[in-house]
Amino acid sequence: MDGKGDPVRYSNRLLIPLLLALASALAGCATVAPYEREYLAEPAMQTDPDPIDSAYNDHIYFSIEGSSGGRGFGGGGCGCN
Amino acid sequence: MGAIKNDDFKKKLTSAVCTLLGAVPAAQAAQAAEDAGKKWDIDAAVLYYQEADNRVSAIEPVISLRRGFSGNRALNVKFTLDALTGATPNGATPTNVPQTFTRPSGSDSYVVQPGETPLDDTFKDTRLAVNGSWQQPVGRLSLLTLGGNFSKEYDFLSVGGNALLARDFNDRNTTLTFGLALEQDSVDPVGGVPIPLASMAAAGTLQPRQGGSESKTVVDAMVGITQVLSPRTLTQVNYSLSQNSGYLNDPYKLLSVVDPVTGATVRNVYENRPDTRSKHALYWLMRHRLKRDVVSGDYRFFFDDWGVTSHTLGLNYRWQPSKKFWFEPLVRYYTQSEADFFRIQLVDGQPIPVEASADYRLTAFNGLTFGLKHGWMFANGHELILKLEYYTTQGDDSPSEAIGVQRGLDLYPNLKSTVVQVQYRF
Amino acid sequence: MEAVRAHTTVVGRFKAMACPCEVIVDTADDRLGLRLVDVAEREARRIEEKFSRYIPGNALDRINRAEGKPFHVDEEMAQLLDFAARAFELSGGLFDVTSGVLRRAWKFDGSNAVPAPETVEKLRAFVGWRRAAWDGRTLKLEPGMELDLGGIAKEYAVDRAVALIAAESGAGVLVNFGGDIAAGGHRRNGAAWSVGIEQVDDAGKAAGVLQLKRGAVATSGDSKRFVTDGRRRYGHIIDPRTGWPVADAPRAVTVHAATCTEAGFLSTMGMLSGREAETFLRGAGEKFWVAR
Repeated sequence: MDGKGDPVRYSNRLLIPLLLALASALAGCATVAPYEREYLAEPAMQTDPDPIDSAYNDHIYFSIEGSSGGRGFGGGGCGCN
Repeated sequence: MGAIKNDDFKKKLTSAVCTLLGAVPAAQAAQAAEDAGKKWDIDAAVLYYQEADNRVSAIEPVISLRRGFSGNRALNVKFTLDALTGATPNGATPTNVPQTFTRPSGSDSYVVQPGETPLDDTFKDTRLAVNGSWQQPVGRLSLLTLGGNFSKEYDFLSVGGNALLARDFNDRNTTLTFGLALEQDSVDPVGGVPIPLASMAAAGTLQPRQGGSESKTVVDAMVGITQVLSPRTLTQVNYSLSQNSGYLNDPYKLLSVVDPVTGATVRNVYENRPDTRSKHALYWLMRHRLKRDVVSGDYRFFFDDWGVTSHTLGLNYRWQPSKKFWFEPLVRYYTQSEADFFRIQLVDGQPIPVEASADYRLTAFNGLTFGLKHGWMFANGHELILKLEYYTTQGDDSPSEAIGVQRGLDLYPNLKSTVVQVQYRF
Repeated sequence: MEAVRAHTTVVGRFKAMACPCEVIVDTADDRLGLRLVDVAEREARRIEEKFSRYIPGNALDRINRAEGKPFHVDEEMAQLLDFAARAFELSGGLFDVTSGVLRRAWKFDGSNAVPAPETVEKLRAFVGWRRAAWDGRTLKLEPGMELDLGGIAKEYAVDRAVALIAAESGAGVLVNFGGDIAAGGHRRNGAAWSVGIEQVDDAGKAAGVLQLKRGAVATSGDSKRFVTDGRRRYGHIIDPRTGWPVADAPRAVTVHAATCTEAGFLSTMGMLSGREAETFLRGAGEKFWVAR
């Protein structure tokens, strides 16, 4: 890349062990049967229960901070950063 | 009934019923078409954003329409209007004498008093954005979403498309998501694109400009896992990558060039950032249902090749004492390191770096948000949601780079903002 | 209409066609659930308005007051009459939409009002689909005859409601109009609906629980409607060919079939088959429960 080589090495150092830890954690998960999943289907347990609120948050923080992304995806650009 | 020929009877009965139910009489079809207006789910909201000290204020009404079709397909259209007014720090440092800055148009100027953070109030704009997406199941276990966005404001245009595929595994306990987005933006700054690191010229004189517009391209990719951990617990981990290339400068931002001895501002130059940026984000969400309430926490680790690293931690608690209403207090902590090319100012006589920016958003700072959401469900199924949020930042007010007259001045433009949000779903 | 959220589903309740109706939608989206319940309710009311015997001036009423004149029916009525014609043939005359007049002799209120044979005979003169002239567009009933679609209207309404909901959303839904039930769409997590099969004398205590994923369930029974002459109990399903209730009819018949209309037809036929109920239902090839 360019002279700032650190982030690339940083990412390798961090990402791979993290993903491996995640994979092994998930492998040990119990499977929840369909008839046990009633709570998970509730509105408040969804991963993104209020897309408008998420979009507002993403837009505000994108305009006032130096980071972006993570949870959501492809909302469109603005000239604010 | 006597002797029955089993298959024959069954076939004839099924056939008779199919004929009856299969036909939708014209009258009913017309009736259904008449009722078509009631098939949209609407989410309407307005955001009011206000920063303290006469800085930016914005009103952002949004309307999102969703229509479902048979087979779990859906169409979503969202309109956003974003009206911004107020002033934003232009990147120059405060000093002990009044400062005059030229507006981006080049024909006008504004004066900033001694000791004040220079704010450019040319910052008035209205943005209109349209997002559309189509959701389509692919087989029994996958869902594909295709979307497009368009955003236009006076000096900026953005067009993009995205695709997201979600697939369930493991008895639907695990969902894998993969997404890709492309965006093409063009910047057409007021007064033209400034020559990077050139000195700002006085109003009315020839301004250092290198053309009318520039463009940038963004490619995003995301991979994620959502996993059910127990009947009451859910977790999600996402990794996203964003590659930006093209014109990444803020055409309206400056850096002060100060005297190495006195610290007085000698002149101002336009900023310059690299023309590529690789952003990485790792996000982790946990939701757990208690007896009746839901507690959630999320963490995002961000780093890029500009040297910015940040940690974001969020916590919310959904308190739901009745089916009719709920309250959700939330807190968010944010901390960021500064970009490699971030400079509070440049020093006269020293070599000018290739890239430099004094944009306060690229410095090291912490941000803290406190908020409260309140939801009310009406008997007819409509929902009203109110949100109040307060955000403050804290940075280095007296950095070691301060020289002479700058010592004693507040060189970090703290941000304090309030958000009020009203949303109605029907 | 009253709708509440019950964890994973939205449950809507209303009264239509003189029975308690319930629509359950498997969704996390309250507005969708509400909208689909509304679709079902509006369809139930529309069908009630159109086919109820008790609403003066509706299509059915006008047919019944046509006094022998041919009546040109609309498309939906034509479809139902076509079905009635085929069901009449298929059932050997047991399913007869002109048998409604017999209710004047039989008032099923648990009393001792068993009619005199002459009363029944007089009414039989006005019963018989063969006496009606149906050419696919025009219906001509002899004076005194009456069309009664009560035998299939509710089941038809259930199937129609499920179809209309399916046109709007693939969400799993259970439509229950007074015990005539159909499932539509797909539940999240592939779950099934638990439907209780009611035992006749212990109303409220489910004899069994059927795990319903798709299809429909309909029940015909005499638990609430019968007359007695002290010795024998006459169920409310009348054999149109004789004018009398069927001898040795089961207390209740429940059938699981692909559609509610089919299930309703088969359960009624089961009741009318008297002591041959099980034989008939086995021959029909659908899952059934008979209570005696």
